[in-house]
Amino acid sequence: MSMFEGFRFRRVSSVVHLLDPRAKFFFVCVLFITAILNSKLPPLILLFFVPLPFVLMAGVQREWIRSMRGALFFAFIIFLFNFLFTYLYTEYPQVPSAPLLERSIAMTLRFLVLVESFSVFFLTTSPDHLGLALEQSHIPYEFCFAFTTAVRFVPVLAEEAQTIMDAQKARGLELERGNFLKRVRNYIPILIPLIVGAIRRSLELAEAMESRAWGASEKRTNLYVLKLKRNDYLLVLISVLMLILAVYVWLYIPIPSLTILLSF
Amino acid sequence: MIEGSPITVANETLAIIETRKLVYTYSGAKKAALKGVSVTIESGEIVILTGPSGCGKTTLCRCFNGLIPHFYGGKIEGEVVVAGHKVVDQTIYELARHVGLVFQNPENQLFALSVEKDVAFGLENLAVPRDEMIKRVDWALQMTGIEDLSERPPHELSGGQQQRVAIACVLAMQPDVMILDEPTSFLDPVGAQKIFEVINELNKELGITIILVEHRLDLASKYADHVVVMDEGKVVLDGEPRGVFNSEKARLIGVGVPKATRLYQILRENGTHLSGVPVTSEEASKLLLEVLKRD
Repeated sequence: MSMFEGFRFRRVSSVVHLLDPRAKFFFVCVLFITAILNSKLPPLILLFFVPLPFVLMAGVQREWIRSMRGALFFAFIIFLFNFLFTYLYTEYPQVPSAPLLERSIAMTLRFLVLVESFSVFFLTTSPDHLGLALEQSHIPYEFCFAFTTAVRFVPVLAEEAQTIMDAQKARGLELERGNFLKRVRNYIPILIPLIVGAIRRSLELAEAMESRAWGASEKRTNLYVLKLKRNDYLLVLISVLMLILAVYVWLYIPIPSLTILLSF
Repeated sequence: MIEGSPITVANETLAIIETRKLVYTYSGAKKAALKGVSVTIESGEIVILTGPSGCGKTTLCRCFNGLIPHFYGGKIEGEVVVAGHKVVDQTIYELARHVGLVFQNPENQLFALSVEKDVAFGLENLAVPRDEMIKRVDWALQMTGIEDLSERPPHELSGGQQQRVAIACVLAMQPDVMILDEPTSFLDPVGAQKIFEVINELNKELGITIILVEHRLDLASKYADHVVVMDEGKVVLDGEPRGVFNSEKARLIGVGVPKATRLYQILRENGTHLSGVPVTSEEASKLLLEVLKRD
C-alpha cells in the first residue's frame, strides 16, 4: 500500500536522526518564525536552503523530494490566489508586473519552507522518540501512549484493509465501478469490517494493557530517557542565533525586494 | 482421578490458585459462562486447561488475573484466590504482579515500537527504577532467547518471535503464575514447539506455575503435570495427564487426545495390551517395541 508508505518510519541512524527531537523541534519552530517574519523573496530563498544540509546528512533525499512533490499542488494554489487576489482586490489595482509576481512567489516559497522544515523533522524523528519527547514535555502519558500506539497500528490496519478488500473482491465486489457516489458507496463493505476489526483489536489491546499493570502508579518510570547531548546544544545555539538575527533584521533593516535589487 | 466432582484440597499451603464453586455471567449474557468451577492449582505445576471451544477456558483465565470481574463486569459468585489474594478485592494491576497473562493473538498484545520497550511496559507502569528495569528486561529477553531482537519493532517479527516477546513481557514482571491462553494457535508447529520449550524451561528453572490453555495436546502434553478438561462451563475431568487422556469421557467431549494415547486405546480394543499409557510418540514407540519383542 503505497498510500501508507509515508507513515512507515525507516530505522536509520544518522547524526540528524540521533538529535534530540526537542532540539530539532525548536529549530523547526525558529525556521517557521523566521519564514513568517519575512515577506521578501531573497531571505526566503536563503531560508529554503537552510534545511537542505540536514536532508543530505540524514540521507532522506528521496522521501523528502516525495513529500515536497506532494506539497506542490497546494503551493500552486497559493501562488494563484496570491497573484489573482492582489491583482483584483488591492486598493490601487496593480497591473501584472514583476513586483506582483515576486510577491506571489515569495508567499508560495514561505509555504514551501514551512512544509520543508516540518517534513525534515518528521522524516528524521522516529515515532518512539517523538512519543518520548512528548512524555518528557509533561504531556499526560495517556496521550503519548495513544500517539505511539496509533503510529504502531497504522501499518497493521493498512494490511487488514488490504485483506478485507481482497476478500470482498473475491466475493464479486467491484470497487472501481459507477459514478463518484456509487464508488464511495462501494467502500462501505470494506469500512464496516475494518471498523469492527479495529474495535475488537482495541479491546484485546486494552486487556493486554490491563494485564500488564496499566495505571498501577501515578509516576511511571521509563526505559528510555532523552538527554540533550553536545550536538543538540549546538543546534539549539544555532537556532537561537538565527532567531535573534531574524528579529533584529525584521526590526531594523528593511530588506529590498529582488526586483529593486536587480534594477540597480 | 476425580471426575466432575469438586476437589477436596489435600494440601492447602501448596495451592497457588484456588476457585470454589465459581459461577460467572458476562454482563448482558443470559447464560452463565462458568457454572460452578472448583479447581486447585498447585505451586510449580504445569497445568493444561483444555476443552472444546466456548467451554469457558478463556473466561476462567480472565478470572485468575482479575480481568473478570474488574474489566468485564458481569456477575460473579463463589471464590477465586490467587497467591493468597481474593481476586474480587484486588485491582488488576496488583494482581499483575502475581499473575501474567499471555494472549492468543501475539499481534494485539504488543504495542510499543521496539521489543525492549514493550518488555519494559509493565515495569514502567509499576514504576520500577530504571537500572533495575534494564536488568530485568535483559534477563527476560535472555530467558526467552530473543536478546538479538531487542531493538526490532515487534510488528515486523514472525508470529513465533512475537509470542516469545509476549512471554518476555509477562516474565519481566516476575509473576508467580503465568497463564498462556492458546499461545500457539497462530503459530506453525516449529514455532509452537519452541514456545512449549521456553515455557517448560521457565517452569523448571524458575519454578513459575504455568497454566496452558491448549488444543494441540500432541505437542504440549509431555510437559504437563496436571490436566483440567472443561465442557460447557464446568470442569469435567481433573487429574494427572495419563488418566485424563485415557478416559472415555475425554474422547467423547471432543478433546484432541494425544495420538499416542489414542493408539493405545485402539490397540487395547483389538486385544493388544501395552504395559502403560503413552502420552508422547516416544513413549508409544518404546511400549510398542516391548510388545513386539515379547511376541
